[in-house]
Amino acid sequence: MSRISISLTVNGERTEVETEPREHLADLLRGRLMLTGTHVGCEHGVCGACTVEIDGVPARSCITYAGSCDGASVRTIEGFGDDTVMAALREAFMQEHALQCGYCTPGMLVAARDIVLRLPEADEARVREELAGNLCRCTGYRGIVRAVLGVLAARRPRSGHV
Amino acid sequence: MTAEPGGLGVGASPRRKEDARFLHGRGRFVADITRPGMLEVAFLRSPIAHARLLAVTKPAGQEKRVFTIADLDGIGTIRANSALPGFRVSEQPALAKDKVRHVGEAIAACVAESRAAAEDLAAICVLDYEALPAVSDMRTACSPTAPLLHESWSMNAFLETRRDDDVSGLDAIAAAKVTRTLRTSRQCMAPIEGRGVLAEWDPRLEQMIVTTSTQMPHVTKSGLADCLGLDEGQVRIVSPDVGGGFGYKGILLPEEIVCASLAIRLGRPVRWLEDRFEQLTAANCREHHYVITAWADRAGKLLGVECDAIVDAGAYSSYPFGACLEAAQIGSILPGPYILPLLRCHTVSACTNKPPILPYRGVARTGVCYAMETTLDALARQLGIMPQAIRLANLVPATAMPYRNLVGKVFDSGDYPESLRRAVAAIDVDKIRARQAAGETVGFGLATFCEQGAHGTSVYHAWGIPFVPGFEQAYARLAPDGVLELRVGVHSHGQGLETTLAQVAHEILGIHPDQVRVVHGDTALTPYSTGTWGSRAMVMAGGAVAEACRQLAERVAAIGAALMQVSGADVRVADGKVQRTDTDGFVTIADVARTWYRTPQNLPPGVNKGGLEVTAGYRPDPDTGTHSYACHAVVARVDTETGAVVLEDYVVVEDGGKLVNPMIVDGQVMGGLAQGIGTALYEEMPYDTEGQPLAATLADYLLPGTTDVPDVRLDHMETLSPWTTFGQKGIGESGAIGPPAAIVNAINDALAGLGAEVMDLPASPSRVLAAIQAARAVKA
Ligand code: FES
Ligand code: FES
Repeated sequence: MSRISISLTVNGERTEVETEPREHLADLLRGRLMLTGTHVGCEHGVCGACTVEIDGVPARSCITYAGSCDGASVRTIEGFGDDTVMAALREAFMQEHALQCGYCTPGMLVAARDIVLRLPEADEARVREELAGNLCRCTGYRGIVRAVLGVLAARRPRSGHV
Repeated sequence: MTAEPGGLGVGASPRRKEDARFLHGRGRFVADITRPGMLEVAFLRSPIAHARLLAVTKPAGQEKRVFTIADLDGIGTIRANSALPGFRVSEQPALAKDKVRHVGEAIAACVAESRAAAEDLAAICVLDYEALPAVSDMRTACSPTAPLLHESWSMNAFLETRRDDDVSGLDAIAAAKVTRTLRTSRQCMAPIEGRGVLAEWDPRLEQMIVTTSTQMPHVTKSGLADCLGLDEGQVRIVSPDVGGGFGYKGILLPEEIVCASLAIRLGRPVRWLEDRFEQLTAANCREHHYVITAWADRAGKLLGVECDAIVDAGAYSSYPFGACLEAAQIGSILPGPYILPLLRCHTVSACTNKPPILPYRGVARTGVCYAMETTLDALARQLGIMPQAIRLANLVPATAMPYRNLVGKVFDSGDYPESLRRAVAAIDVDKIRARQAAGETVGFGLATFCEQGAHGTSVYHAWGIPFVPGFEQAYARLAPDGVLELRVGVHSHGQGLETTLAQVAHEILGIHPDQVRVVHGDTALTPYSTGTWGSRAMVMAGGAVAEACRQLAERVAAIGAALMQVSGADVRVADGKVQRTDTDGFVTIADVARTWYRTPQNLPPGVNKGGLEVTAGYRPDPDTGTHSYACHAVVARVDTETGAVVLEDYVVVEDGGKLVNPMIVDGQVMGGLAQGIGTALYEEMPYDTEGQPLAATLADYLLPGTTDVPDVRLDHMETLSPWTTFGQKGIGESGAIGPPAAIVNAINDALAGLGAEVMDLPASPSRVLAAIQAARAVKA
């Protein structure tokens, strides 16, 4: 099996790795880079459990070849440090009971953070539509949707405070 | 219900202790765990449903990396027997032997340094087989011409059951009679995390350590020891974080046996991780077929029910619950929450060339509730009465509790009619009728049901399954620093037991839940338990933890009283302290712990030598099970052009007795409900006539997503169970039981004006359209 050398930035650290052409990014992250917070649920791009940020945009690491990430900047659930939006989402997920087994949670959080930043005016229907690519088998989504809506609402300037 | 500040004990909704690790990506699931020198396994699986296996040709030069059953001599077959008369038990080899009986059955294990390399090996093995005709339809599985899956059997059935009340006189006296032929789909439980197994042999302890994604580590341990010919002390099962179970992980896996056996043979750790294709073809659930007739008088009072039911149980009887758990329960669940005078019921657990079925959340109840509740609505339509009226005419009233029904089930407590009235009151039924009158295809549907949970010895001994649950035990220990450690044999994989059991301990000892560590998922550390299934954990483990904490409190009180030089009668344990009842004086539980471990010279004479650790057992008396119950009320709109169904409103009125943590209970109901909506509208694992699965990805097998599950209105009643520690009832499966019945009743109400009725699940657009077209054809 031929190998490709790539260099990418993962959670702010530059890494040089060798990968097989067929290796997907999730396997690289979870395997050699030992970042097991990114989960794999289907490996065919449907469930969203493997969602990570590639160059600032959420992407499915199971259908992204590691070899295609040369030069990319990848951020996983372990890489949000004290990012305030992620901190607010974590808080809201706890508050709204937005996780049970926790398996879908890292992917949900990465997708949710993107919604909060990209769509500050999103209403419930929009949040549901945006999250439709992340499956959760445990919660029935109510807590997840409420948590995202709560963070969106808290970030809006309140009328009266303007 | 969201997390609430304030209370920490039973009835409060503190935040979950387990959340932080998952929110930071620090959960540890099987696939996150590796060992030095570990090998990965890929299975060569059967591409065909039924065949005689002639040969497996291993790739040249790689023979030592491919293992068939012939290479694993000495390992036993999986046998999940039942004491029910006439049960035929299958012998399921860990790897196929002589025959394959379903697509996906493991034939050989291929071992390599990486999963990809192992899959490469599997791809170049050559399989030689002689195809046999497949049994793919449960309705013809038992015909005399059907080929036999298990050749020593006389027919393709694990079990037949009969109850033979005489219903022959009912035609003469009934005001209404309906017969329906109904079908539920074959489903997959589809937890987002698949199964996974990591097996390693510890030569020092001579112990097989298997880390596996399971709901029942102790049962797996016993089953595995048996199949491997090891004693129970030589097997340790670790079940780390588990990404959803729902019944899918309540089984002894062939893969566990194979990986363990390989780890011993190869002297290296061996891991197998299930991929989604394997998951969708490894095990199924549900698939019921009913022909059901019900009779009622003019007021809607049920006179009797007759039911012929078949469940497609697949090729093997899975361990420990066996192949008949669904079908054989149909007769006992059919009366539902109603007073039913007569029941005639015949069931068959058919054996087919499909993966074995496993009990899925709701076990049998979802199908039975669907059959009974849609039939009731059909009766109501025939009688011209409202769906709530026919239910109110038959529900067991609160004054009759505890109530023993005609099949001997005992309902512990509750006000079933009130849950129905509340649900109906939450919906503006008049408005729906007005919209219908204006020509809208909108409808209103109900389902009422009860859920037996935490049923124990007295129920299961009659089934004679390999593991009859008995007393549940919990171990509680105060550490030298005053931290309380609880160890339980049940497993938490989403239910939040790390939080709720700490709440129970807080209720008794007053120790802050932050100072309570709940240990589960390791047979080396926890007391034996049949595990987490059957909505039993909060009743059984909750009761056991309470009992252990009470016994611990007595010991703590005795030492604390001595430290304060007062009599034991003058103190009580509360708020994490031993408090004098006459003054403000106290010592903390941590002081008591320090005394026991570090300054034992200060212990009183005659102190209990058992110290500050206790194992206590618990079983409710009677242990016939708690019965939570619920009413689901749905408003659904049907698009008659596309067949699409929109759930406009969904109300659940639920009674789970004392809610130990209302936030978590709501989460269980909501999660179950989403699965029930999947059963009702989306999920279907079809097989073709050759026994080939037709939904092998999540793009084909449709799980409900965020846009498919409405924001349900949940209302609670809290009628305590008289039989459990805090009055709590098992409630984990309830949400998944009602939706198919309630939703299809709403669809059929919407379509009533067209004369159309949906019979089969899921009520997908094509089925809805077919029902409308069939009705038009009849009218034309
Ligand atoms: S694992 Fe990538 S989408 Fe499912
Ligand atoms: S919390 Fe279990 S899959 Fe979402």
